[in-house]
Amino acid sequence: MRVPLSWLKDFVDITEDIQTLCKKMVDIGLEIEEVDYLGKNVSNIVVCQIEEIAQHPNAERLLCCKVNIGNEIIPIVTNDHHVQVGDKVPVALHNAQTANGLHITKGKMRGEPSFGMFCGAEEVGITKDYYEGADYDGVLVLRKGAEIGQDIRKEVGTDDYVLDVCVTSNRQDCNSVLGIAREVAVALGKTCKEPDVSYTEESAQTTDLVTVNVQDCDICPTYYMQGLTDVVVAQSPLWLTSRLAKVGLHGINNLVDITNYVLYEIGQPMHAFDYKEINNKTIIVRRANNGEEIVPLDGKTYSLSTDDIVIADATRAVGLGGIMGGANSGIVDDTNCVLFESATFARGNIRRTSRRLGLRSDSSARFEKGIDAYTNNLGLSRALHLAQKLGCGKVTTGRICVGVEGRERTVEFETPRIKQLLGIEIPNQRILEILSSLNIKTTIDGTHITCIVPAYREDIARDCDIIEELIRVYGYDNITGTLMEGSHITCGGKTPIDAHLDSVREVLNGLRYDECIFYPFAGKALFDKASLIPVDESKYIRVMNPIGEELSLMNVSLAPNMLQCVALNLSRQNSKLKLFEIGKAYLTDSLPLTKLPVEQKRISICATEVDFDTFRTNVLQVVSTFVGTKGIKLVRTTDSALLHPGVAADIYFGDVLCGYMGKLHPQIAANFDINVDTYIAELYVDELWNNKKEQTKFVAFGKFPAITRDFAFLCNEEVLAQNILDEFLNLPLVESATLFDTYRSEQLGAGKKSIAISVVFRDANKTLQDNDIEKQAGKALRAINEKYGAALR
Amino acid sequence: MDKIAEIKTVCLQEMQNCESLSALQDLKVKYLGKTGELTGLLKSIRELPAEERPTFGAKVNELRNLLEEAFTEKTKQLKALEMQRKLQQEVVDISLTSVPTWGALHPVTLVENKISQLLTSMGFEVLAGPEIETDYYNFQALNIPADHPARDMQDTFYITDSILLRTQTSPMQARLMEQKKPPIKMICPGKVFRSDSDASHSPVFHQIEGLVVDENITLCDLKGTLEYLAANLFGKDTQVRFRPSYFPFTEPSVEVDLTCSNCGGKGCSLCKGTGWIEVLGAGMVNPVVLENCGIDSNKYTGYAFGLGVERIAMIKYGIPDIRLFYENDQRFLKQFVK
Repeated sequence: MRVPLSWLKDFVDITEDIQTLCKKMVDIGLEIEEVDYLGKNVSNIVVCQIEEIAQHPNAERLLCCKVNIGNEIIPIVTNDHHVQVGDKVPVALHNAQTANGLHITKGKMRGEPSFGMFCGAEEVGITKDYYEGADYDGVLVLRKGAEIGQDIRKEVGTDDYVLDVCVTSNRQDCNSVLGIAREVAVALGKTCKEPDVSYTEESAQTTDLVTVNVQDCDICPTYYMQGLTDVVVAQSPLWLTSRLAKVGLHGINNLVDITNYVLYEIGQPMHAFDYKEINNKTIIVRRANNGEEIVPLDGKTYSLSTDDIVIADATRAVGLGGIMGGANSGIVDDTNCVLFESATFARGNIRRTSRRLGLRSDSSARFEKGIDAYTNNLGLSRALHLAQKLGCGKVTTGRICVGVEGRERTVEFETPRIKQLLGIEIPNQRILEILSSLNIKTTIDGTHITCIVPAYREDIARDCDIIEELIRVYGYDNITGTLMEGSHITCGGKTPIDAHLDSVREVLNGLRYDECIFYPFAGKALFDKASLIPVDESKYIRVMNPIGEELSLMNVSLAPNMLQCVALNLSRQNSKLKLFEIGKAYLTDSLPLTKLPVEQKRISICATEVDFDTFRTNVLQVVSTFVGTKGIKLVRTTDSALLHPGVAADIYFGDVLCGYMGKLHPQIAANFDINVDTYIAELYVDELWNNKKEQTKFVAFGKFPAITRDFAFLCNEEVLAQNILDEFLNLPLVESATLFDTYRSEQLGAGKKSIAISVVFRDANKTLQDNDIEKQAGKALRAINEKYGAALR
Repeated sequence: MDKIAEIKTVCLQEMQNCESLSALQDLKVKYLGKTGELTGLLKSIRELPAEERPTFGAKVNELRNLLEEAFTEKTKQLKALEMQRKLQQEVVDISLTSVPTWGALHPVTLVENKISQLLTSMGFEVLAGPEIETDYYNFQALNIPADHPARDMQDTFYITDSILLRTQTSPMQARLMEQKKPPIKMICPGKVFRSDSDASHSPVFHQIEGLVVDENITLCDLKGTLEYLAANLFGKDTQVRFRPSYFPFTEPSVEVDLTCSNCGGKGCSLCKGTGWIEVLGAGMVNPVVLENCGIDSNKYTGYAFGLGVERIAMIKYGIPDIRLFYENDQRFLKQFVK
């Protein structure tokens, strides 16, 4: 919300400098986004009077002037033959800056000294809305009364600040100069003048001119109308257009300018209808018919629905309620009677219509924030006052009021509530002062406080709202920190699963993996890159209004983002990547969603430039933090859409699938331009957590010696070492069994390999003898031979 | 007898010259072994007259004892020498100081952990809520009905008309208060989503929601808690300032500024010369929200706050661009190693 300081001064006697003002405004809750000094680009340009004009001796098109700048007479050379002796004009002196970026210095023009340059409107930084004659494309001739030597900014009205104030969405009443002025008065401890809304009704009865019929009260709770006859459409005075210019509008004609002025000053969007275009003297406020068309003032055609609000006459729509008037009923040069509309429209409808049609206006923006009935009335009165003051026409008699009027509200509560919420006391006297400055009429009877809240403060509904008003004016600096001494003791901490994930992070950090965080959504292009077969988009949860296609689908796997990250890092010459993410897959079996989907927590682990065994060990170290070292199974997968068919495994605990790991498929690696060996795993946290190992119980270890035996088997290539180890591990006396060598040679033959394992036997109760071991081992060896055709070498 | 003296002299001489344990062992065998010189001497006893034999025997034994002692002593000497030699050979270059780094935690996790650690010590539990959330919990339960202008404060990603990507961690306030009655002390860290993207805005970022509901909870307690957090995150001299603001689910609502950690409040480019940095929004839980969740708003009061984790991390670590958090360049990540 842009507010010129000069306009605020209409209401509050502001004598503070701009910094003090801004600080006090911030302290009571008006955030200042920007302080814009309108004359900021202009310096050293003053009013001068031309005392002499002579032809330049060396140049036919130039004139040599002598001008009075107050304390001296200086020479200026100009090419504008339109200037005359006695004219007062802006002159840029030595080292001046002009609004259009020129730097002016003293010099000679064709041999004649010129101590500066005469300026036009562009150099001074104004338009015709600011100053008479500013539309002339040459030297700006100032009014006769301009003070010689005066800074030009003071003369043309740009010696002014415009504050860009950020108003919180509960304070719709502050979306106006008046609203901000009320707050500024509170902040400065001054009073705020009320706007002049006086006028004399001197023309026809409004009700004789028009009948207003609000068909749907829910979309239009209040509708006020009053008008002018004997209208003279003309240009507005400069004091008005210059104010509009400062907030970014242009002068159009007096009637339209008044509605804009009231919009900014009072915060009431208004519309002026040309009475002669209203058929059957009837205004109807109704929902649009489906497919009904309207052409608002922007000249485009829009097709409407029943969610939209139209203002209609007996035969047709004449305005899109709250957004823009109709082209068929706007003010034109021969308008002789106007009807001012000042109403409240349902902000939800305005918001939806405005978004759907892509049609926003200052009016719609304000209606979306909310307008109250009190302001409807005030705005209309102010418009009529201005119309009369500007001589636009004669005010009609009586006001048509449909709907509820703005009313004051009463809020009552007990004063100890203040300390209950704030933790500090505010003296009663201060309470009364503060609330009075906010126009809240207050009485305190014992501990009972009664507050009568002005109609424009729709945000104040209950005790805590009054208490907020008190503290923001009393000052938050009065709040001193305490540490909940009066509350109950509670048990804090992370949930067990989150605490465990912290351990997982520690383990992965210890294994030198760095933690990453990715967006939970991406796009089909990325998912396709990370899959041998194109993904089926319809199975993904889709964002209806994504920033772009590349951020439109919720992840069902953490792998695509991880691979993209690997590719990015490699392209930046980072190497030996070890990365992990703890993220989520968003899964559902019913799309479109009718209930919330499953957010499945996952751990993604990725390493480049390692081998499978190293990576497998790292992944299993993480798995074992959940389930321990026993019971994990790795099952070969050959049909993964992501992994190398020969170097990929599903990870099971018992029968539960807990994740996968393996080497990236060379095709996928190529898709990402990844040209180093890359291994990736994804673990399902809930599945692992549900099989969490039990708390450690001490087990006595045997005092009898262990015996180690090595075995070597000749077997086919596809035999898995773990199967052979398992045959031993299933035996009661086997403590451990580990692979220590795999060997292939021509001698062994193609498709054959030798597997060498080391088995540790131990009996808790006695020293094992050779024949005990042979008996045990014999069972395993037979089974291995039968099941896997692996013979002892 | 001369023979004994000669052996003694020669043996001790040879022993003297001996430089290795193995040579010494050989020498020992040569003199004291089963077939060594001394055994030879003893055998030669038969050649002596009977009356000299006892003296001769005693002399030989005396020599044996003397030599054995000398061998033991010499062994010790040689072992010490050998260790000395070995120690000299085993000298390494001890100057290198490079360490392979541990893996690093993401700065978002570091900040979340730090804040969790501080607040769990005060009795806060750490909970998580769904990221795909209903319109009800994200908005309505928090006193933001449909078409409320506050919805425009946040650009929401929708999945369906009633399901969305949560725009804040605040829905967890309502979810928790529906299930649990006071005393409540909770924080909820997690991802949130807004359709916004530039150097200081990311469509995904992290928030930590804080909620306390109990008897006797006041705005002073909110300030005290935030002062405790600020002092531990940014240094003990950090001051906390409240400014009036508006959130539909708190009343009064405040913006919370901290004295700029970069300049200590003097004014610098980070704080745009103000000496203060805006870090979070907070307030007293709006009684409407308490009542929506079935909590007696006369008996209980509460405070809530929501802070942006990346924002804290950017200030704490001097990270200039929020996009760095999601790029995950190894050179970024490795800077946050323990």
